[in-house]
Amino acid sequence: MNLQLPALAPRLDVTTQAFFRFRQVGKKVLITNYEGFWALLTPEEFERYATGTVQPGTPLHQRLTDNNFFKATYDTRKAADRLWQRRQALTQGPNLHLLIVTLRCNESCVYCHASRAGMDQVETDMSRETAERSIDLILQSPNPNLTIEFQGGEPLVAFDVVKHAIAYANEKNKTAGKQLEFTMVTNMSLMDEEKLEYLLANRVQLCTSVDGPEHLHDGQRKLPGASAHMAATKWIKRINQAYADRGLDPTLYRVEALLTTTRDSLPLWKEIVDTYVDLGCRALFLRPVDPFGWVDKTARRVEYPREDFLEYYRNAVDYMVELNLKGVQVLERYAAIFLSKFFGNDPNFLDLRSPAGAGIGCLAFNYDGKVFTCDEGRMLHEMGDSSFLLGNVTGSSFKDIVSHPTVRSMVLASNLDGQPDCINCTYNPYCGTQSTHNHKKFGSVFGRARESTICAVHKGIQDYLFERISTDDPKVLDIFQKWTTSRPRTHFLQPPTA
Amino acid sequence: MNHTITTQLSNGTATFSVDPSLYPLDALYGAAYIFIDRCFVFLDKDEAGRVVVSLSPKKGPADEPTLQSWAGEFGNELLSCAWRHQISAQNRQVLEQVTSLALAGAMGPPSLDDLSNFDFSSQPLEDPLGIAMSWEEKYKKKTPAAAAGTPAVAAPEAVKP
Repeated sequence: MNLQLPALAPRLDVTTQAFFRFRQVGKKVLITNYEGFWALLTPEEFERYATGTVQPGTPLHQRLTDNNFFKATYDTRKAADRLWQRRQALTQGPNLHLLIVTLRCNESCVYCHASRAGMDQVETDMSRETAERSIDLILQSPNPNLTIEFQGGEPLVAFDVVKHAIAYANEKNKTAGKQLEFTMVTNMSLMDEEKLEYLLANRVQLCTSVDGPEHLHDGQRKLPGASAHMAATKWIKRINQAYADRGLDPTLYRVEALLTTTRDSLPLWKEIVDTYVDLGCRALFLRPVDPFGWVDKTARRVEYPREDFLEYYRNAVDYMVELNLKGVQVLERYAAIFLSKFFGNDPNFLDLRSPAGAGIGCLAFNYDGKVFTCDEGRMLHEMGDSSFLLGNVTGSSFKDIVSHPTVRSMVLASNLDGQPDCINCTYNPYCGTQSTHNHKKFGSVFGRARESTICAVHKGIQDYLFERISTDDPKVLDIFQKWTTSRPRTHFLQPPTA
Repeated sequence: MNHTITTQLSNGTATFSVDPSLYPLDALYGAAYIFIDRCFVFLDKDEAGRVVVSLSPKKGPADEPTLQSWAGEFGNELLSCAWRHQISAQNRQVLEQVTSLALAGAMGPPSLDDLSNFDFSSQPLEDPLGIAMSWEEKYKKKTPAAAAGTPAVAAPEAVKP
């Protein structure tokens, strides 16, 4: 189907419609408005809407009225509520704080974004004093909910620093009174029972990397003398069992795993999903490779055209939907985030919002005390580009950091209402861009959406989701609704302090 | 006048001219600046008033595909900057409001430390109309002795700015 817009042009009547954007999706036309309501129309319905000939009293008129698509019945309050749901996170301050406790890592990955250091480079470990000063700053965030995420390198390499940071943060939080969570991103290979006992006792949520089946994972993530895949999967099973042994709901409390999609991953979409399902994981995050860290040098091996990624994505998610129809509960995170936005419950994912969360929703504290807008900003620094450096934990106040001119620039640059292409895009209410990615690829924080791989991926995924929605298959819609259900994992909140 | 952008690749430099009536100068500067880490950028004007852009390598000679790529990238960036320039002007208010909201939200309300660090001795904003002045300061309240002969309402000339 192709919209016959030129033929429609002489009959267009733009006096009855409220502001809208449109895009052909499969056999239907998607229309969205500024605040994010949407409707999928048949070409005939779209023609009636575009020519101002929708008859009052018809189901189409009612549907368009309910979603604020007519001038005459435009409900400003409803629009403001929906817009505020999307924007309210802007008023809360940074929630996510990444603590890079070391750059040392015992694994070597072809796409390493973290610019890991060798195991003998102890000078890249964070000192206890730097950890303390970082936490002092973190606790000054106005956000009442704070997450401190331990990253590396491999954070288990600097486990003493992690333990010290947790003890210090809990002690200081007796005064700060924040709702505090700790998470750790680890490859698991240095995990042992003692460390695990500590992490469980201190309610540290664990997240790891699983790239798919063993041969794929081990081909991309080298662990000297052992299988990185076996190390990760052994501990995933062990930790999931430990959660169950503690009486935690096994459908909610599980190790989260992430994967990075390389060229080798693309034909293995089914094996990747099966690996996750076999491990008992209930979510995959099908992320494309980023241009940071070692990818600069390994791009010829790991990179691919984004249309190939989108084909892989469609195959994988189609397969996940099939599994769901058979009673297997597994979801794709990108899909869950976008669907939540479509259905009016924006989860405030920092990389998929406008403006993006760098500096105003998250901060990254490097091992040496340098503070960055986000992890990608820190990665670029390790590659020799310090454009996203905001200050230092020893010399900068919290307000110096978050009001830094670089943060202001990024807020402006990632506001889609100021971006060419995004300004007219039907997906504007649900999308986001990344200034660090733009800076790396185009030399400016604004970038060029039309040429951006991020834009291609975001548009492609939303096209896919709306195509599936447009089929009106109640079983698929039911699965998509379930994917948007967010159940808080309250066990991971630190106990209230006096 | 030739309105197309023609790229000349000679002496290892990509040179082309741009019609300034199509692209605002701000957009041209914005696009040019983005290239200064990749190559040397020279802007000039020809006799017809077109802006001439020259891109030359910083180190060693650049091959033709590289020069073509720079010129093409420049054209795309120029269009992007020009359109963003227009959008920014049209949406200035909403962009500024959202930016203010985000930065104020990230900083949070002023703390007691902020107040203790505030320099109360500094002079307030300029106040040429005397709006922030007290009535006594503004109308030069007389001493009791002098005030005895002063009418209750200030003379008209006293309220002249």
